[in-house]
Amino acid sequence: MMTRMTIEEQPAIPFDAWSLIGGLEVTLDVDVLVGAFPDRDSPPGTPESVGGLLAGHRTRAGAVASLRAALFDVRQGNDEVLALAAESRWLPVGAVDLRDALGAGRELDRLAGAGMRAVRLFPDEQGVDASFPSVRHVARRAAELGLVVLTGGDVRRFWQPFAGIGARVVFLDTHFYHLGDFLVAALEEPGFHTSTRLLNSPDALETVAAELGVERLLHGTRAPHYEPIVPLLRLATSGLDPAQVEAVAGGNARRLLA
Amino acid sequence: MIIDVHAHWGPWFFTMDVAGASLATMDRYGIGKAIVSATEAVIYDAQAGNRALAKVLEGQDRLHGYVTVNPRRLREAAEDLRDLTGPWVGVKIHTDYTGSPVTSPRMRAALELAVEAGLPALVHTWGPSVLDLAQVCLDVPGLRVIAGHMGADGHRYAIEAARGCDRLYLEPCWSHAPAGRIAEVVAAVDDRQLLFGTDATLIDPSSAFGAVAAAGLTGLTAERVAWRNATELFSI
Ligand SMILES: [Zn+2]
Repeated sequence: MMTRMTIEEQPAIPFDAWSLIGGLEVTLDVDVLVGAFPDRDSPPGTPESVGGLLAGHRTRAGAVASLRAALFDVRQGNDEVLALAAESRWLPVGAVDLRDALGAGRELDRLAGAGMRAVRLFPDEQGVDASFPSVRHVARRAAELGLVVLTGGDVRRFWQPFAGIGARVVFLDTHFYHLGDFLVAALEEPGFHTSTRLLNSPDALETVAAELGVERLLHGTRAPHYEPIVPLLRLATSGLDPAQVEAVAGGNARRLLA
Repeated sequence: MIIDVHAHWGPWFFTMDVAGASLATMDRYGIGKAIVSATEAVIYDAQAGNRALAKVLEGQDRLHGYVTVNPRRLREAAEDLRDLTGPWVGVKIHTDYTGSPVTSPRMRAALELAVEAGLPALVHTWGPSVLDLAQVCLDVPGLRVIAGHMGADGHRYAIEAARGCDRLYLEPCWSHAPAGRIAEVVAAVDDRQLLFGTDATLIDPSSAFGAVAAAGLTGLTAERVAWRNATELFSI
């Protein structure tokens, strides 16, 4: 228990997140999107505006995928993010459409040929369940090609198509409610990682570090559709030591993706 | 200074170990006071949980208590509301854990008990249920009610609800932080109806604190959200 602090001694400005974040810098955010969602009031997601948002949150680079690729035109959207690779603030991530299993497999080959290191799956946005054959097909092909998979979807279901095939995966939607399921699955799968975005219970980050090792944790924000300051603040105020924070803030992602 | 109007004390059934009330965490975020409910009371046994929390509230001044009410056990609730005074400043009612939708007659009866006790009530709201809460607020004279989570993904319903009943307050905590959610609510709702809550110890304060920080509140609005409205509503 801390010593008691009276109300008058509290910091004067309420909700001053930056003083808590201190000097923390993010070297690579693993969950960034360009493009807009047509089914909701969405930020425009231009590369310029997203880049500005990252810079405003002390984030040097983002692993970026395209909503155009995820929702409409895989090839064109992926070519747009490939073109962003000229700037060091972007690490392009391909997308495939799980509604087109054959096309998805072919696009994986093309992306690997173009030097892409990672592919992102959008099962929720594409209305795809973890049990669909297309997911298994893409999971296996990506593993064969050595592509890292960044995937959305409920980790309690989406762990399964990636199990037992030597896959390297980052689960982007791991919620702390489901942390136990992720932990027991990841104990058997050294290639399983998780984004920090929804691990915002008081001890989820610390529990992953203790149970699996900090190298499984990757800072992810889903900028610009989620507030990047929330996972940033959670990481900055975590119980991890400075070297661990640095690893989560981009070191782990660089090792995995770059 | 900040008052957290939605906090908890006690263990959760998830993969987490946060049973201790953490004044250190409150200090870090500048949260001077928190109004807490017992997790046992919310999830399983209201009366036993309330009694356990009573011991924690004794002899300290940072934590205030919600008397948790299970609308299915109104006789016990009336006992608790009679016996638990002093640091107890509100009533907490969870809809899901008690199987009591906002529209149910027993929820209304529970809220009427809160009015009789002279206490505001915190009710969890998800999606459009916050509109049902606004209707109950209009139907129950004198009720002051806090829409916990302000509808979560239904924050636009929460705006409509707050505009429909000026005795309905919005509290923002949620484990998700969609871009612009708080700013949109603040722009559309009278800032005298806005409160701050975290859902600690289930959710780390960084979630609600960061989301509110992202809205860039200033001046009187920031103060009202942070503590002024809570001070008046709970008389603390
Ligand atoms: Zn609660």
